[in-house]
Formats: sequence, structure tokens, C-alpha cells
Amino acid sequence: MATETQGPELSEPILTVENLTLALPKNADRRFAVNDVTFTVLPGEVVCLVGESGSGKSVIAFAIMGLLAKALTVESGTINLSGENLLQCDEKRLRTLRCTRMGMIFQEPMTALNPVMTCGEQIDEVLLEHTELGAGERTKKVLSMIAEVSLPEPERMYRSYPHQLSGGQRQRIMIAMALILEPDLLIADEPTTALDVTTQAQILHLIKELQSVRNTGVLFITHDFGVVAELADKVAVLKQGELVEMDKTNRVLSDPQHPYTRMLITSVPKHEPPVKEPIASDAPVILKTEGMNKRYVSRTFTFGKTEVAAASDISIEIRKGETLGIVGESGSGKSTVARCITRLIDVSKGKILLTGTDIAQAPQRDLHSMRRKVQIIFQDPYRSLNPRRTVGQSIVEGPMNYGKSRQEALKDAKELMNLVQLSPDVLDRYPHQFSGGQRQRICIARALAMEPDLLVADEAVSALDVSVQKQVLELLAQVRDRMQLAMLFITHDLRVAAQVCDTVAVMSEGVVVELASAKELFSNPKHEYTKALFKAAPGRDFKFAEFTT
Amino acid sequence: MQTDQSDIGDSLIDQSVEGDNVRKQAPLWSRLLRSPSVIIGGLLLVFIVSLVPSAKLLTSLDPTEINPRNRNKPPGAEMVMKNDSGERYTLTSRMGTDKLGRDVFTRVVYGARVSLIVGLSVAIISVAVGLFIGLIAGYFRLADAVIMRVMDGLMAIPAILLAIALVSLSGASLFTVIVAIVIPEIPRVVRLVRSIVLSIREEPYVEAAISVGTPTAKILYRHVLPNTIAPLIVHGTFICGSAILLEAILSFLGVGVPPEIPTWGNIMAQGRDLFQIHPHNIFYPGIFLTLTVLAINMLGDGLRDTIDPRVSREF
Repeated sequence: MATETQGPELSEPILTVENLTLALPKNADRRFAVNDVTFTVLPGEVVCLVGESGSGKSVIAFAIMGLLAKALTVESGTINLSGENLLQCDEKRLRTLRCTRMGMIFQEPMTALNPVMTCGEQIDEVLLEHTELGAGERTKKVLSMIAEVSLPEPERMYRSYPHQLSGGQRQRIMIAMALILEPDLLIADEPTTALDVTTQAQILHLIKELQSVRNTGVLFITHDFGVVAELADKVAVLKQGELVEMDKTNRVLSDPQHPYTRMLITSVPKHEPPVKEPIASDAPVILKTEGMNKRYVSRTFTFGKTEVAAASDISIEIRKGETLGIVGESGSGKSTVARCITRLIDVSKGKILLTGTDIAQAPQRDLHSMRRKVQIIFQDPYRSLNPRRTVGQSIVEGPMNYGKSRQEALKDAKELMNLVQLSPDVLDRYPHQFSGGQRQRICIARALAMEPDLLVADEAVSALDVSVQKQVLELLAQVRDRMQLAMLFITHDLRVAAQVCDTVAVMSEGVVVELASAKELFSNPKHEYTKALFKAAPGRDFKFAEFTT
Repeated sequence: MQTDQSDIGDSLIDQSVEGDNVRKQAPLWSRLLRSPSVIIGGLLLVFIVSLVPSAKLLTSLDPTEINPRNRNKPPGAEMVMKNDSGERYTLTSRMGTDKLGRDVFTRVVYGARVSLIVGLSVAIISVAVGLFIGLIAGYFRLADAVIMRVMDGLMAIPAILLAIALVSLSGASLFTVIVAIVIPEIPRVVRLVRSIVLSIREEPYVEAAISVGTPTAKILYRHVLPNTIAPLIVHGTFICGSAILLEAILSFLGVGVPPEIPTWGNIMAQGRDLFQIHPHNIFYPGIFLTLTVLAINMLGDGLRDTIDPRVSREF
């Protein structure tokens, strides 16, 4: 929750961005990446830049750091860091300012660190470049900084290479690197987006803590209103490069003035499951797995074999018209379950009963008839459609495999396009002409063209912006109710799960640790892991979309 | 599909598909014509290819006709010729004559044909065979292990050694030379195709095709194959260039095309012993060889940058 700090109002801002306008190259879809944006960051204040993809929030961060892509040009405006206009600094001055006066954390802790240098050396490099300290003093300082970001065994961390650390640990190293010279300003560009929710909570906590101890101003870029509610003192909402609203966090979240902000906040799924009709207990069971197992065995040439259990003893059941959610962090085995059930990978042990028939061990040639009953929607809308085939070709491919004529399949495809709320006239276009949300609708249409009994959605809305995510979720619910589909919904996002699922299974390390109806699970979680997950969810105490006016 | 579903959501039909969301990209040919290396390489190649059909117009002489009277004439010298009825006339030799009195210009012009045939057929055969084997190796795990070991073996055979072996088995001929160059070239194509297939196989759209029941052969043809075409066209041009060079090397060493057929390599081989006194025997075919390979490589470079920026660092 945002805390009211009394000091900042009196002091001079560290960062002042005034009327900043950045021009895009000539043939881009709009003229300005950022248009006339003005905001300030005070010492000890956390300012969140919020916006959907393409709103220009990262571009602002890069402009401040002087890392703007060559294609973008500064049209007008100033960026003042403690009274110094950064846009007029030469490269040499900027290099001095980076790390000493402003530090940055990036989204991908995987790629932001150099894989062939130890973490300690990489932090040390900052000191080597910017200070006159001797080797011994530097090492001491690096070790104390590593300890300060709450990493265990600083000496070991110093000697570790990035690939030996987890994502959260790497992000801590990045924070240590950004803060070691005690800069006045910390820019964090979606630093927790690639992390699991429990790790995210820890990192947010760490940033908050370090920032208040050191009185650092933080410019925090995010798309997640949960994170905003958790962390920010002030929020700036960006839409298509324009700043539509900026105020104290509490005010913006509880009483948004601009309709766009209002729309964004109402799109955030609520943490409480809505009241739904329970699924009739006599509804036919579409999918039932009994003790399903998936093990990966890797044999080496010389030394024995190693076994990894990606999923063990999975027993779930989905009835007609029901949605079962599988929730878990990365590596919990939830996608493995989806791919086993769709038989994209082979199952090691156990049964998968699809409308009564066991398909777990069915050989490839017998799978043809099963394939049409189970359809899957993938996470990445940019890769799940063949870029060289028209949308129409992609949709009719399945039905034609099962003997429909092209005309018939095309006629159905047109109806499906209506169903997923796209114009039927765009069937002859290629995927790159559509936005992410539109592509995901096309993927849904492709799955529905097969008239499946079971629809598997593997993180199907995770890559989408909240407003688009909301529409796609509504569409999925609508389709499920209309066609009485059974749905297996896999997600890492508890809020999304709360909104769509009737039953939720929580997975951790390949095992289902808790399986209960959504209502029960969200009001009364039993397992420790489930409780930890709920506790870590950002902004869970905040009631979104309950505005005062 | 029930028909009553068609009416819902009409009001929500997305408009933003029109206009601003459509990413415009100039058509391929106009992008190609913007690349200087495609234009220069292409024009040079057109010039050399045009030598083949117009050989008879450019010269009235027979490239294999031996004429001891005109031995070792320098470029621009007069040649005394006899026509069918026995009358004498003189011709200017544009590039001089070799030690057997054959006109070098005539031989170079006719030699272009052999070089281009070798280049083109090696490129087509090795790309076609390599594509087929590469698709199978990349898509089927079991086949992969076996095929790639065989390919590793093939790659270890030097083309020149293979050519010598083949020539001693079946005699020197154009066909033998093509086979000798194709065999070591195939594994390189297989590796390229396999690496592309390995990454495409994991794409969600391939998995989506599997889950809508598309047969494996169709998946390979529809979803995987098209991704290999652009890099293969590019790779094909490089194969073409190196095959022309290799043929010249083999002929120069005397293990390639039989000496009576004029090829650039043969012309150079026969001028070898008199190189210091009469360098034109090696000089002119050498220039044509260099220009051809340069043109093909420039064209390949331009194609690569234009149609397939993804693999531009791979070679």
C-alpha cells in the first residue's frame, strides 16, 4: 500500500521531465513515441509509470538514461537530473552520471548480466569505472552490497556466474549493481515482470526497503496495477505516449479522473471469484486423469541416467461446461500437464480418460480421432499462427484434415470469426496484420473450428495487456457457456484464475498441492504453499474497481 | 457449428484491423532492386549467362579446332585461316591463341557454358537432396542421430580426393565432376536445413497443427518447409559460386572435365607450362572465372540481406 511520506513535498525534485516529446521514424504508426510528458520524482518517492504495451513508458526510461534507440529523436522538452539537463550532456558526461547519479534495473535478469563474468566482477566493474578505490576496498564494498540486497553467502554469490543463480537472485545482483554508488535516482523497467509472484513480492519489498533507507527517488515502470498499489507514492498513466493522469496512488486507484485510467483499473481482474452457478453434479465427465506422471529421463553416454519428475500423480477431473484452473509458478509442471493431456508429449505413467477412453498410451496413429476432441490455445499470440499462411488457411486446416470440404470449412470459419468478434472479411489476411489480442481470438477460432469437447488454454491471456486480457477472458467464458465446453485453464495469475475457474488446482514442483472449488480456495486456502502464493500477490488488499465516485 | 452463433458479437466486430494496424512492407522485387549488390551482381551475371546462347554469334571458330600455324599468338595478332574451299583469310585473335593454335576467346566463350552448367546443377542437386535429408533429420529424432553421423563422415572427404577416385573409377566426364562436387556439399545443406527445422519444430504453430490433426508429411510441407526456402536460396548461390571455382580447380589439376572440352579450368591448365611467356592463356579465363564467382557471391549477399536478415550472420 502506498504510504504517505511527509518529507518529499518540501525538497527539490531529483528528476524533472518537462514537455518531453520524442518523435518516431516517419513510417511508424504514430508520430510521437512520447508526446508532451511532464512529471517529477522527489527524493525518497516512488513514481510509477503505468501503461499498456506501446504506451511509451520504457522509451521515457531509456531517454533519461541516454540509451535512446537511434531511430527515435528528441523533438522538444528537457530532462533535469538535480538541475542538470541530461539531453544536453555529451556521451562522456552521461557515462559518468550513470550509476553514480542514476541507476537502472531491466526486465530480463537473464540477459542483463554478462554470462562469462562472475556476478561479483560485474558489480566490481562499476566501482572500477567510477571510483578510485583499491582492489581490497572494492571487494569489501561489493560484498557488503551483496549482503544488503539480502543474498545468502555473499562470498559464494561473488564467485557465482549468472546461470548458477535463480531469476530472483539475478535481479538482486542487478539491484546491487544499480545501487552500489548510491544514486539519487533508480529507474526500474518492469523489474518483476519476468519473475514468479513470490519472488516478485520479495523484490518489491527489497526495492521499497532500500529506497526508504537511502532516500532514493524511484521511477518504476510497470503494467501491473497490483504492483502500483503495492509500491507507488505517485502514479502517472500513459496512453499512446500521452500522460493522461497523474496523482497520488490512492487518489488514482480509488477515484480515477480519466476514462482511460478508469477502464484500465476496471480491467484488473478481482481477487474474489464471482458468484457462479455450480456445475451440475450429473454433467458428463469429459476429462479424467488418474495418477498421470511425466518423467524426463536423460541418459548420458558414460554415466547412468538422471530422472526429473515434471509432473507426478496428477488426478484431475473436468465436467462438461466446467473450467478447471491449474495455478502455479514457473517450473511447477502446469504446462507439462497441458501438453500431456493434448498428447503433444508422451505420458510416462497413468491414465488420461477422455470421454471414457484412455488415451495416455495410445500410439500416434490412433491419436487422429482424439485430436479433434481436445484443442489447445498457446501463450504467445505472435508465434502460434504460421506467419506465411493466411488466417483463413490456418482456421480451415483442422476441419479439412477431418474431411470437410474447403467451402464448408470456410463458411464455418466466417461464422467463427463473428463468434470471436472479428470481421469475417479478414480471413484472407496474414497474422502480422493483427494485434496480439486479435491473434489470440483467431487462435480461439481455430480451436473452435474443430468443435472440441475440451479446450486447453495454456497461459492464453498472459501475454496480453489487461484491457485486452479482459476481453479475451470474457470471450472464452462466453464460448464455454455457449458451446458447453470443458476447459482446462492454465495460468500463473491468481486474479485471472479467480475470475474464470470453477475449480482450481494449485501445483508446485510437479505435484497438485491443493484442489478445491474456486470459491473455497480463494476464501479459505489450506495448503501452506497456496497461502504463500496468495500472500505474495501484489495489491491484494486493494479493492480494484470500487471507485468512490 | 450451429447457425445461431453467427449473430452474437456483431456490434463488437473489430475495426482496428483496418488501416493503422496493417504493417506495410514493400514487395520483394522492389526491395531487391534497392540493394546495390543485387543490381551489380545480377547485371554481371546476366552478361555472363548471355554468352552461352550467343557463343555462335560472337565467334565463327570452333573451340576445339587445332591450328598449328597459329600457335601462341599474342592478343590482337592476325590469324591466318583457311575456309572450306581452301581460300585463305585472316582474323584478329582477340585474346590470342594457345600452344595448339586454338583461339582463346572462342574457348573462353564456350567455356562459360560448362562452368554455368556445373554451378547451377551442383547448386540445384545439393540443395534439393540436402533439403529432403535435412527435413527428415531435423524433424525425426531417431533419424537425426543416424543421418548426422553419416553426414559428418561425408564432410570428412575432400572434394578433390573424391574427384580423383571417381575419375579413376569411371573416367573423366562432366557428370563425374558434378557428382564429385555435390557429395561433399550435401552435408552443409543438411546442417543448415536441420538447424532451421529444429527451431521451427518447437514453434507453437507447429504444435497447433499437430493438435488439429494435420498429418506429419503435411506439417513438414506446409509449416516447416516454407521457412527453409529463403536461407536455402541464399545458400544455393554460394554453393553455385564455389562449385564453379571447384570445377576450375579440378580441371586445372587434370582430374576434372576431359581436356578436349573447353572449360575455364582446362584452358588455364593447358596454358600452365607457357605461363611466363604467354600469360594470356591463364589471364583471360581467370578474369571470367573471377567475375562470375564475384557476381554470384554479390547476388547471394544482396539476397541474404534482403530476403533473410535472420541468417545473415550464419555464414
